[in-house]
Amino acid sequence: MTVFRSTRRVRHLTLAFMLTGLSGLSMRAHPEIDDALARLNVAIAAAPSAAALYLERGELYARHEDWVAAEANYLRADEIAPALPRLATLRGALALATGHAAEAKTYLDLALSRAPDDLEAFILRARTHAALGARTAARRDYDAALAHATAPAPDLFLERAALLPADEAIRSLDEGVARLGSVVTLHLRALALEESLGRIDAAAARLEQLAAQSERSDSWLKRRGDLLARAGRMIEARAAYAAALSAIVSLPDWLRAAPETAKLTTELVRLGGSPPQKYYP
Amino acid sequence: MKLRLALSCLGLLFALPPLQSATTVIRGPYLQSATSTSMVVRWRTDFAEASFVNYGTERTQLTSSAKAEGISAEHIVQLTGLKPGTKYFYSVGAVAAKVPEAAKAKTETTKAAAEVEDGPGKAALNTFTTPPPVGPAAPMRFWVLGDPGTKNAAQAAVRDVYYKFTGNRATDFWLILGDNAYPDGTDSDYQKAIFEVYPKTLATSPLWPALGNHDGKSANSITQSGVYYDIFTLPTRAQAGGVASGTEAYYSFDYANAHFVCLDSHDSARTADGAMMQWLKADLAATQRDWIVAFFHHPTYTKGTHDSDKDSDSAGRMNDMRAIFLPVLEQGGVDLILTGHSHVYERSWLMDGHYGKSPTFDAAQHVKQKVSGRADGDGVYRKPRARTPHFGDINIVTGSAGHGGSLTKPPALNHPAFYISLNEAGSTVVDINGLTLDVTFLNDKGEKRDWFSIVKE
Repeated sequence: MTVFRSTRRVRHLTLAFMLTGLSGLSMRAHPEIDDALARLNVAIAAAPSAAALYLERGELYARHEDWVAAEANYLRADEIAPALPRLATLRGALALATGHAAEAKTYLDLALSRAPDDLEAFILRARTHAALGARTAARRDYDAALAHATAPAPDLFLERAALLPADEAIRSLDEGVARLGSVVTLHLRALALEESLGRIDAAAARLEQLAAQSERSDSWLKRRGDLLARAGRMIEARAAYAAALSAIVSLPDWLRAAPETAKLTTELVRLGGSPPQKYYP
Repeated sequence: MKLRLALSCLGLLFALPPLQSATTVIRGPYLQSATSTSMVVRWRTDFAEASFVNYGTERTQLTSSAKAEGISAEHIVQLTGLKPGTKYFYSVGAVAAKVPEAAKAKTETTKAAAEVEDGPGKAALNTFTTPPPVGPAAPMRFWVLGDPGTKNAAQAAVRDVYYKFTGNRATDFWLILGDNAYPDGTDSDYQKAIFEVYPKTLATSPLWPALGNHDGKSANSITQSGVYYDIFTLPTRAQAGGVASGTEAYYSFDYANAHFVCLDSHDSARTADGAMMQWLKADLAATQRDWIVAFFHHPTYTKGTHDSDKDSDSAGRMNDMRAIFLPVLEQGGVDLILTGHSHVYERSWLMDGHYGKSPTFDAAQHVKQKVSGRADGDGVYRKPRARTPHFGDINIVTGSAGHGGSLTKPPALNHPAFYISLNEAGSTVVDINGLTLDVTFLNDKGEKRDWFSIVKE
């Protein structure tokens, strides 16, 4: 399987490959990998047919966003051993990173045909589909990635949610909460979606949950008040502001006196929260 | 019938955990995710067996026992229901504690080894002290190592001078700031660069790591897979304080009156609207601790073995941490920022608001207190206890815990944000006592090459 095989491109890459392989000039800005590069150059000189070494050198360049040198090394690895494990995945990653989503898809399809459990390839292909506007396919790959991952980062749930209609996205985010715990980033996205759907009670309940689990509930309660105020539920909003003020009262003096807290207090009073008697430090 | 009995016996033989003597501890024990009431103890054996930690508050009374389910060579046991600020003795193995007498006999034989002699293969009696209750001030010492894992003489020297420096003063916990195990952060690299170099500290002081670019060669933050994520057990659900991040790539924890934030400057999205940033804002807003310390791998400023003015250096990660994350940290009232990556020691003035390249640095605008920070010099840094955004923070690059200063290619070390810049191997020691934070940089010869204090009032 070859993709980047136009004669002109090969010539360009071959030249780049020779330069990077011989001198490592493009590494000047990345001193910490000088040693790694030097070691690989020696190893490649000793075993010029070892495709894995080119793959490793390509990955080293890619990690530092030296795309031309990375691609040149991947190309060399491909010439020697086209079926080398991870090669297609890494070429897909590179193509995606450089804005060639269609090419990335070709590589990642290949990677997954060779290694159907390649979690990294699933994630990359999901992002590739998303970049190509293929939302259904992207979602399918995110589903697969999340099914394969034992400890997925919250980002994967957020990325998948971005592809879904709001109500499905909320379910997807809550699935993340169920798997990862009460992760604030997932809740924040869900909150915005719930409000956009007019599900004020659900959003208010979520904010109450965040307030309850936070060491400082005041700012979450303020947000709850803001949410209710935007929905025209002013009585409840004022109650939320009052609750936020009460939470501030319970803070230690030195925190209550902090400029940000004082600013929040003033704002809460302005918004109609009745200041408790012990409100001033 | 005899055949059935024989088969049953054979089955039992396989079902029983192997005898303790049949296996050897080849890694650890090491302590993770410490809280006032819990501790994760991890170790590795050469063969799979049951996982037990026997512990107690008396050397001869390891009367409590915790276990993990199943049989494994990679042992992860969480001890819960511990008392805050309490010293515990513990041993790891394949069997639960039997009777106090047995424990006594065993511990007597290892008494001399406990706390002072350890290492792979030794099933020693060890100790740890649980963190004090969160909130009230309590004295703490933590040791900070940036880019330590070179496995070379500089790493050993930096370690040894710290041990001499701290003496009988316990290290309450320690931070490693990434590039923990060269060259590729593989399991073998970690074995040689961390587990075989710091067995004593690993067994007695909880370790909080950050991911560096070399660790990133064998780890993936989006899938939380690979060696770094396999080796460390870190809080994802705010178990140790702070706000739940949902990932081990970035997390926070509390110790007494201090809050610690670890960011992933290498492999997690560093965008202004990314998950790490949203979590950071929520985490900083939530804390009630007196002190906030942030640590991550890529420095905000450096003119050491890396140059934070070069966009291409480290693929822009230093720019991102300075331009995107530093404003949020400063808005959140962070006091101290600890980084590595550049194999030098650089320490800033108490400063705020500089998010560009070094030519845009203006001391009149960005230095909040132009003193050394030294009580024996022109004075310590002073901050209000009430958390005040943009009052000033100290940025430290301490990335030379495994690297001797380069004599052949000396770095420029001329970033104007820094009060002092040193091309020397060393590590950083931080003591917090109530509202005073003291920092010491100790070089590989045991010399105090920098020191300063921040006092809150």
